[in-house]
Amino acid sequence: MANAATHDHDSHARPGFFTRWFMSTNHKDIGILYLFTAAAVGFISVSLTVYMRMELMNPGVQYMCEEGARLFTQAEIGECTPNGHLWNVMITYHGILMMFFVVIPALFGGFGNYFMPLMIGAPDMAFPRLNNLSYWLYVCGTALGIASLFAPGGDGQMGSGVGWVLYPPLSTIEAGYSMDLAIFAVHVSGASSILGAINMITTFLNMRAPGMTLHKTPLFAWSIFVTAFLILLSLPVLAGAITMLLTDRNFGTTFFDPSGGGDPVLYMHLLWFFGHPEVYMIILPGFGIISHVIATFSKKPIFGYLPMVYAMVAIGVLGFVVWAHHMYTVGLSTTQQSYFMLATMVIAVPTGVKVFSWIATMWGGSISFKTPMLWAMGFLFLFTVGGVTGVVLSQAALDRAYHNTYYVVAHFHYVMSLGAVFCIFAGIYYWIGKMSGRQYPEWAGKLHFWMMFIGANLTFFPQHFLGRNGMPRRYLDYPEQFATWNYVSSIGAFISFASFVFFIGVMVYTLRWGKKVTEPAYWGEHAETLEWTLPNPPPEHTFETLPKQADWDKGGH
Amino acid sequence: MPTGSAKFKRAAYDAALSSSAPVVRDDAPIWEVTLWPNRSLGPVGLRNTMLIAALGFALPVIPFVWAGAYWVLLPFVFVALSGLWLAFKMNNRHGQLREHIGLWPDLIAVERHELNGEIKRWQANPYWLRIKFLKSGGPVDNYLTLIGSDREIELGAFLSPEERTALKSQIETHIHRLDINA
Repeated sequence: MANAATHDHDSHARPGFFTRWFMSTNHKDIGILYLFTAAAVGFISVSLTVYMRMELMNPGVQYMCEEGARLFTQAEIGECTPNGHLWNVMITYHGILMMFFVVIPALFGGFGNYFMPLMIGAPDMAFPRLNNLSYWLYVCGTALGIASLFAPGGDGQMGSGVGWVLYPPLSTIEAGYSMDLAIFAVHVSGASSILGAINMITTFLNMRAPGMTLHKTPLFAWSIFVTAFLILLSLPVLAGAITMLLTDRNFGTTFFDPSGGGDPVLYMHLLWFFGHPEVYMIILPGFGIISHVIATFSKKPIFGYLPMVYAMVAIGVLGFVVWAHHMYTVGLSTTQQSYFMLATMVIAVPTGVKVFSWIATMWGGSISFKTPMLWAMGFLFLFTVGGVTGVVLSQAALDRAYHNTYYVVAHFHYVMSLGAVFCIFAGIYYWIGKMSGRQYPEWAGKLHFWMMFIGANLTFFPQHFLGRNGMPRRYLDYPEQFATWNYVSSIGAFISFASFVFFIGVMVYTLRWGKKVTEPAYWGEHAETLEWTLPNPPPEHTFETLPKQADWDKGGH
Repeated sequence: MPTGSAKFKRAAYDAALSSSAPVVRDDAPIWEVTLWPNRSLGPVGLRNTMLIAALGFALPVIPFVWAGAYWVLLPFVFVALSGLWLAFKMNNRHGQLREHIGLWPDLIAVERHELNGEIKRWQANPYWLRIKFLKSGGPVDNYLTLIGSDREIELGAFLSPEERTALKSQIETHIHRLDINA
């Protein structure tokens, strides 16, 4: 018999802190762990950008000096030798941390773990202990990544300055073991993601509540499923690519070294075969969250559920066949370039289906502008702006002028910083009452939104102008002709950072002193997924009562 | 009874009871119910999923054949694909678990069919039965246990929390309806 694991009587005793948070196999607890860890890593990653924007605020080098990095005092003219390595390290670790350790763990690991099983009526994830392993591998990968930042690297300094894409030959000749640690970090986080993806796929397909067919599954659960499939298919390619990088660095192979018959462009193909699906892994769970938020606060069911589902599937599929638009200028033939250009533009179709369905959901709805809705609408507007510049950049001819400029930086920050990050915030404000039982102060959420909205736009919109004027990305310094918009951009970054610090304050307040919410569906009846109806038993069960004559033939009671 | 600090304990495993003989009775139970972990994907669905995954994995391997790098990708692809297959196999295997409850006027019996073929049994007199229900703080939310014959057993730990709530009310309903003088 399965003996019960239970505690004594009705005391509200809880498992100890260590048991609950370190050995947890509960999908909700693991989701919360993911969210907190991602927030901590996000803070580190964002701090790096603030330092970068401080440096870029004015022409010349004021902070990142060979003589020693400064933080609070600017160097006088003549007493500072620019330290390019430090700059390169900043952009590298901002990229690596954001791509692998912040956004996907928050959206996929955090919200995915917490809400996907709830939405499909599963008791837990299919493999709760594997889930725990995924989380700790992610922590381990993060630790390796941070260690890599402080390990001996190139130019006789700490850290690797090769960019998050780790392109050879730069990454194969980078001295020190910092680069190797970075590769291990990506390896371990990749293993964590693949295990997580297998777990999510099994849960989604095999553990849906009876009667919940695939075409009835909520959009967020679908988005997690599609993301999991993208991870499963593309992460092994990345693992292969960086394994080759590792052997090139340490065991004298020449996969990417022309002197030994290799080809550095091969690495770019492999990396972007993973890298392009990666950006959809980042944004797809966000799409799912936004769909629920918009439907809830428009007080209408989502417009065009099935097209929304298949748009996500289409985006996922197309994401695998467009990778070379990241590398138009490496010597692809014109035919190849036209294929990748056309395929890329086709993605605008399913994305358009989604954007217009969201607008149609709001159309004629009774919209209430609560904080999650503000974030969702902010996302909708800004993601569209980023999408439009994406169509511009997809043109192989225009890309000749725009590649490696700040126009590209502006584009991908509009879709990711303003897209995915706005989704994370929308999700947090939407669900925090469900996750913690306490509600944030509405004014604080709105203030956070407006600060972030203004700050992020101020940061990234001027970067379009800088890019069009020809300012290249990944440089520490620039001619003074670019000074004005860089100054504006830095002010925007400081406002965004202030809003992030404010957000942390709001979260601390909410979790400790926030108003308690007891009503299950506190956003109203239009929040329709299962997590909002939790106390109510669903109509069908996974057990079967075999009625006996005695059941109905008892008479007189 | 420990107080203050949270303590969990697994009730001592009672070998004698678990290997007890099956309940053999002539009268049919008043109520019986079978519980199993739900699995929503059938064999056709599994086949299609693996097919789609295999096609998806072919996508990165085929273009890199010309570059000669595909053999580095193959082991990773193989591990991921077989991992997915294994996950479904294991999950379906876990789905074989069954718990069977039978209720007679003077007896409640639970049979648990383990994955390894072992059948564990427990029985008690419903008159002395206690039903314990922990909304939170148990190994799972809405943790349902029955206490009787000096043992506490868990029921339907693999069900969803709402289903355990429904199961509890069903058990209660049928026990309250028992005519103990019958």
